[in-house]
Amino acid sequence: MTDMQWGIFTVGDVTRDPTTGRTPSEAERIQDTVTIARKVEEVGLDVFATGEHHNPPFVPSSPTTLLGHIAALTERIILSTSTTLITTNDPVKIAEDFSVLQHLSAGRTDVMLGRGNTGPVYPWFGQDIRQALPLSVEHYGLLRRLWREEVVDWEGKLRSPLQGFTLAPRPLDGVPPFVWHASIRTPEVAELAAYYGDGFFANHIFWPSSHTQKMVELYRRRFAHYGHGTPTEAIVGLGGQVFMRRNSQDAVDEFRPYFDNAPVYGHGPSLEEFTSMTPLTVGSPAQVIEKTLGFRDYVGDYQRQLFLIDHAGLPLKTVLEQLDLLGEEVVPVLRKEFAIGRPAGVPAAPTHQSLLRARAASEAATPDATPTEGLTKQ
Amino acid sequence: MTELAVISGGLREPSSTRLLAERLEASVRKELGTLDIAAGSSFVELRPLGHPIIDAMITGFAAPALEEAFETVAEADGVIAVTPAFNASFSGLFKSFFDVLPEETLSDMPVLIGATGGTERHSLVLEHALRPMFSYLHAIVSPRGVYAATEDFGAPAQEGSALGRRITAAAADYARLVQGCGSHQRRDAFTEELTSMEQLLGGSDGESRR
Ligand SMILES: Cc1cc2nc3c(=O)[nH]c(=O)nc-3n(C[C@H](O)[C@H](O)[C@H](O)COP(=O)(O)O)c2cc1C
Repeated sequence: MTDMQWGIFTVGDVTRDPTTGRTPSEAERIQDTVTIARKVEEVGLDVFATGEHHNPPFVPSSPTTLLGHIAALTERIILSTSTTLITTNDPVKIAEDFSVLQHLSAGRTDVMLGRGNTGPVYPWFGQDIRQALPLSVEHYGLLRRLWREEVVDWEGKLRSPLQGFTLAPRPLDGVPPFVWHASIRTPEVAELAAYYGDGFFANHIFWPSSHTQKMVELYRRRFAHYGHGTPTEAIVGLGGQVFMRRNSQDAVDEFRPYFDNAPVYGHGPSLEEFTSMTPLTVGSPAQVIEKTLGFRDYVGDYQRQLFLIDHAGLPLKTVLEQLDLLGEEVVPVLRKEFAIGRPAGVPAAPTHQSLLRARAASEAATPDATPTEGLTKQ
Repeated sequence: MTELAVISGGLREPSSTRLLAERLEASVRKELGTLDIAAGSSFVELRPLGHPIIDAMITGFAAPALEEAFETVAEADGVIAVTPAFNASFSGLFKSFFDVLPEETLSDMPVLIGATGGTERHSLVLEHALRPMFSYLHAIVSPRGVYAATEDFGAPAQEGSALGRRITAAAADYARLVQGCGSHQRRDAFTEELTSMEQLLGGSDGESRR
C-alpha cells in the first residue's frame, strides 16, 4: 500500500431520489452499501468506512456486522467506521466487536471514534448526553486497556467496575486496531487524539476549510507536545465530497437537484456558494484532482482521504460510476501527485502490518520489553 | 480605543431603525468623550446578511460576510442593538442573528438596546423581548433603552425633543457602564474547551499513553 490511503465513507442514509421520487427500501440500501464496498476494492481504492446511526432514515446501526460481511467478500481493502460512538457504546463491546472483525478480516480493520451528536441516542443506550465529554475520555481509556492488557482491573465513574476481565478474543497478533478520532470542530477530540498519539480525522465536509485547518494544526501541535513525535509525524485523515462527470457542466446539472434537497445542507446556500465555502467539488475529474491536491496546503501532508459519494438519494448506478472515475482517473493521479515533494519524515498511513513492524522494531530496541504491548503494567 | 459595534435590524430603505441606531451611536460617543474615552464604531446592518443568517441556521457555519459581522461584535467593547418591533417583539431577522452568533460572544458585554415601531404602545418590547434575551446571553444590559415610534420621528430632531432627551439620557447611562466595564475580554470557546479536556485527560488514571 502507498503512503496515502484513499477510500470512501458512507453515512448510510435512506433518502428519496429527488429526480425520480423513489425511496429505496432499507434492505436495498444495505445491499447497495455492500455493492459499493466491493466496488471500492474492484477499482483499486484502499478504505471503506461506514457511519453508525441508530435512527431512521439511516441503516448502519451495527457497523461490525456490515463490515464483517464485507470482509468475507473482499480481500484487500481496509474496513473502518465513520464513526463508532465511543460515548453510547460500551467499551467492552467495542473491544470485542473489533477484535472479532480484526480476526475475520485478517487485520484489515481500523476504527474511527466519534462522540455522536444526536441527543436522543444517549438515553437509548443508557447514557446522558451531558456526560458526553467525560464518557469519551473514560470509555476510551478503558478501551485502550482492554486491547492492551491481558487482565484488566478497572474502576471509573460512568460504568460498572471490571475485575480480572480478559478480552476474548485478544486482538489479532496482540496488536489493537489503529484508532482515529474524528471531529468536525471540537478541539477536545483533537486533544484526545494528540494525547494518545492516535490518528485524527477531520470530517472536513459540510464546513469551511478554515475549521479543518484550525483543528489539524491544533492536533499536530498537541501530538508533539505529548511527546509522540514532530507535528509532521502526526497521523491525519480528511473527509471530502465529490460528484463527477467527464464534462463539468454535466456534473453540476446532474448533482444540483440532489444538492438542493440534500439532508444537512439542502434548502440553504446555493451549490455554487457551498462549493466555494466547503471542500465539496462538483465537476470534472481534473477539477476534483486540483481541489483535493489543495487540501495539503492547509493540513500538511496527510495519510488518509475518504470521500462521501453515496448520499442524498443518489442511485446506486451513479455511485458506482463515481467509483469508476475515482479509481480510473482521479486516485491514480492523486497518488502520484501527493508522492511528489512528500517530506521523508511524513509517516505512511498505518496498517496492521505497519503496526506489527513498529512493534517488532521497538522490541528489538528494548530487548527485555514484555512480549506484547498488551502487558504494559499499570 | 473603545470599540462599539452597532447592530441595526431595520428592513426598509431608508430605515428608521438605522436612524435610531446612528443617533444612539453619536450620542454614546459624545458621552464617552465627556468621560475622556475615545471611541470608534462599526455598523452591522442585518438586512444584507439575511440570506447568510438563514444559511448559517441550515448549515451550521457562517459565510464570510456573516463571519466578518461576528468578528466585529466579538472584538467590540460595547454593543448597541436596535430592532424594529414586529408583531409586538423583535423582528425575526434580529433574533436570528443572535441565534447564530457564536455562544459566549456577548458574555459580559455592555449592551444598549433600542427599538423602533409603528406605535408607541409597543415600547415595552424593550423590556419584554430585548432585555431578557440579552440577559440570557450574559450581556450586561444598560438600564435605559430607547424606543422610537413613528410619531417620534415626526417631531423635530433637535436636542430638546422628547426622543432626543431619551437618547441622551440612555447614552449617558450606557457610557458610564462602558467605562465601568473597561475593555471587553473576548471569550474563546475553543481554548476553554481545550483547557477543560486537558484537565479531564490529566485527571485520568495515569496509564501509559504510548
Ligand atoms: C411584519 C411587521 C410587523 C410589525 N409589527 C409591529 C408591531 O407589532 N408594533 C409596532 O409598533 N410596529 C410594528 N411594525 C412596524 C415596524 O416596527 C416599523 O415600521 C419599524 O420602524 C420599521 O423599521 P425600519 O424602517 O428600520 O425597517 C411592524 C412591521 C412589519 C413589517
